[in-house]
Amino acid sequence: MTMTRRHLVMLAAAVALAPPAWGQTGDPVAFVNRSASELIAALDNSPTEAARRQALQQIVDRTVDVDGIGRFCLGRFWRLATPAQQQQYLALFHRTLMISITARLGDYKGVKLVTGRTQPTGDGTLVASTVTRPGQQPVSVGWLIGNAGGTQKVIDVVAEGTSLRQTQRSDYTSYLEQHGDNLQALIDGLQRQAAGQS
Amino acid sequence: MRAAFRSFPLLAAALGLCVLSACATPPTDPDALADFKQTNDPLEPTNRVFYKVNDGLDKAVLEPVARAYRYVVPEPVRDSVHNVLANIDSPVLLANDMFQGKPRRAGDTLARFFINTTAGVVGIFDVAAKVGYPAHESDFGMTMALWGVPDGPYLFLPLLGPGDPRDDTGFGVDIALDPLTYVGKGTIVTVLKWSRYGLNLVDLREQALDPIDNVRRTALDPYATFRSLYRQHRASEIEKARNDNSRLTTPGW
Repeated sequence: MTMTRRHLVMLAAAVALAPPAWGQTGDPVAFVNRSASELIAALDNSPTEAARRQALQQIVDRTVDVDGIGRFCLGRFWRLATPAQQQQYLALFHRTLMISITARLGDYKGVKLVTGRTQPTGDGTLVASTVTRPGQQPVSVGWLIGNAGGTQKVIDVVAEGTSLRQTQRSDYTSYLEQHGDNLQALIDGLQRQAAGQS
Repeated sequence: MRAAFRSFPLLAAALGLCVLSACATPPTDPDALADFKQTNDPLEPTNRVFYKVNDGLDKAVLEPVARAYRYVVPEPVRDSVHNVLANIDSPVLLANDMFQGKPRRAGDTLARFFINTTAGVVGIFDVAAKVGYPAHESDFGMTMALWGVPDGPYLFLPLLGPGDPRDDTGFGVDIALDPLTYVGKGTIVTVLKWSRYGLNLVDLREQALDPIDNVRRTALDPYATFRSLYRQHRASEIEKARNDNSRLTTPGW
């Protein structure tokens, strides 16, 4: 009986103290800080490389709007794609993104993030931050936090003034233009790339 | 300053080539046209040829040299070389900070030059950054941007790499602004001058080894990716300079 009551009290305390539930629109700065500390904790506490990879994957899935970024990167070609192609492309995009994030897992060791100013943009709020790593120059990284299907998510990362999704979009759309606007060529290219790197 | 061997004849040659040959034809589809305008690369076919030539040259010569430099020379020494080269650039930086009407930045550059030349032992150590005078980028391309000159179409030139008429012209002006351009005559001075250009090039390339590797490995269309990165980087440096107005003259010790 006492056990149950204490359990209940703790549960209530946890609910009260917990940050606003994932997905609610809250303070973008708090969101960035929360996601970053969660990421750092997950990397520090995972014993093996495989566990780190998996932890990273989970956090990315929950905090980053990968589908939205994928759609953005296809630009005007998204509408031209068949639903099957869209699906195939998004699956590949998820894979490509995870490969590029986990490729340099060692780089995230000892990483620290300090958030700075925020700035509203057309599709969200840009949260400035300084990322430091031991023995490296600090890097300025902006996190564009937007609303993806009612949940708060990262919709772009701006490193030293260059936007990840903008750069990726020029890569993909230009590749498509060089290959006769043929979406299959891009899908094949991504497939080759993923196969060569994983 | 960007790559070391920039000059105007090449610019003229590139523009001439477009007149003579391949300019990209604007697409008719409105969305495609919007993309075309945003990319602003009407010389794309020619640019891509030069990109290929440059890429080949880079892989054959500059990249191996930069790799050897990284392999042979330990990092602290490379940092020192970089610092000395940056310190030598100070007059050009200062002139541009002033042309841009950025007294805070000009003050930073001046303080950096005096501190690093003295306490930093002729620029070997970047002491100034540690006491609150961080380095920043400044060149005549940025100056013209702040004066309202648009960047113009993308230009990829042999040896000079990515640019546009404004930034390439700015590069030439920066050489003209450099007092060392006019210093002395004779074999030794000439050798020193070219050593500086050469070293600058190797230093820049060494610093870019990892990012360039990364683009070559992960981009489907490296040409377009470099184009986008170049444009975004320039725009962000220009905005940084534009907004660098109201901060304290003295660092916040």
